[in-house]
Amino acid sequence: MFTVLLFLLFAGLAIGCAISMVAQRNPLYSAISLIGVFIALACLYVMLAAPFIAAVQVIVYAGAIMVLVVFVIMLLNVEEEEKKRTRLRVLIPAAVLLAAVLIAEASFIFYFVERAGQPHDPSTSNVGLTASIGIGLFTQYLLPFEITSVLLLMAIVGAMTLASRTGGGFFSPNVRVVPGAAVLPRQIVDPNAVGDATPVIAETTEEAARLLGVDDVDQKPDED
Amino acid sequence: MDVHLSWYLALSAILFTIGVVGVIIKRNIISMFMCIELMLNAVNLTFVAFSSYFRDVTGQLFVFIVMTVAAAEAAVGLGIIIAIFRNRESLDVDDANILKL
Repeated sequence: MFTVLLFLLFAGLAIGCAISMVAQRNPLYSAISLIGVFIALACLYVMLAAPFIAAVQVIVYAGAIMVLVVFVIMLLNVEEEEKKRTRLRVLIPAAVLLAAVLIAEASFIFYFVERAGQPHDPSTSNVGLTASIGIGLFTQYLLPFEITSVLLLMAIVGAMTLASRTGGGFFSPNVRVVPGAAVLPRQIVDPNAVGDATPVIAETTEEAARLLGVDDVDQKPDED
Repeated sequence: MDVHLSWYLALSAILFTIGVVGVIIKRNIISMFMCIELMLNAVNLTFVAFSSYFRDVTGQLFVFIVMTVAAAEAAVGLGIIIAIFRNRESLDVDDANILKL
C-alpha cells in the first residue's frame, strides 16, 4: 500500500511536470519542469530497485544535460514564444477521433491482457546494483560499451566543429590560426578610428608588431 | 494491492505521448529538443521496469547506453542550435527551412 502511494505521488509529479513543460511558453520554465520530470523518474527508478540508474539519471540528465540546455537558453537569450498561428484547423476533429481510438486501444490492453509481471520483492534482487551492472557491461555487452565510447568521441568532435566560430559570424572564413597570431581592435592600429572595436587580424607576430608600430619583436609590449 | 508492471508501462506511455505532443505543437527548437529528451526518458522507464520485473540486468544496461546517446545528442544538438541561431537570429523552426547552415 505504501509503495502504491509512493508510485502515485511520483507518477503524478512526473506527469504534472511533463504537462507543465509542454504548456510553458518560456523555454527556461520548460527546462525547470523537465528537471522535475527527471527527479521524479529517478525516484521511480529507486522504487524499481535500480539505484545505479537512479544516480546516473540525476547526475547525467538532471545535472549535465540540463545544465547544458539552460546554458544555451541563457546564452541565446531566448524570448518567449509568440502566440501560435493555428493552421490546418480542419484536422482537429480527425485528431480528436484518432486520439479516442488510440486511448481506447491502450485501455483495452491495459485492462484485459493477462497481468504478466509478478510483484517483485526489491530486497532480494541484486539486479540494479552497480556491481551487477558493471559485470554485465564489461563481459557480455563489452562491444556496445566500446562503440558508445567511439560515439562520445564523435560527439565531442562534432560539437567542437559546429560551435567553432570559423566560417560564421565574427571572423572571415579564411582566418588561419598560427602561432603568435593576434587580434587587435582597430582603434589601436588606426588613431582616427577611436571607439571602433572591429577586429584587425594579424597572422604572424611580425605583422602584429608592424601594425602596432613596435620594432622590437622579441620584447613583449607592455600590456598596461 | 501492489504496483504492477502495467502501471509503469502506462506511465511511460503517457510521458512518451506528452513528449510527442510537445514536439508537434512546439515551434521553439530548444523546447522541441527537451521534448525529445522526455521521450527518451519514457523509454528508459520502460526498460528499467521490465528489467526490474524480470530480474534481468540487460534492460538497465540499455538504459545506460541510451543515456550516453542522449548526452551525445545534447552536445551535438545544442551545437547545431547555436549555429542555426547565429545564422538566422531566430530559434523558430519555421525560419530554418533550408538545409544550409
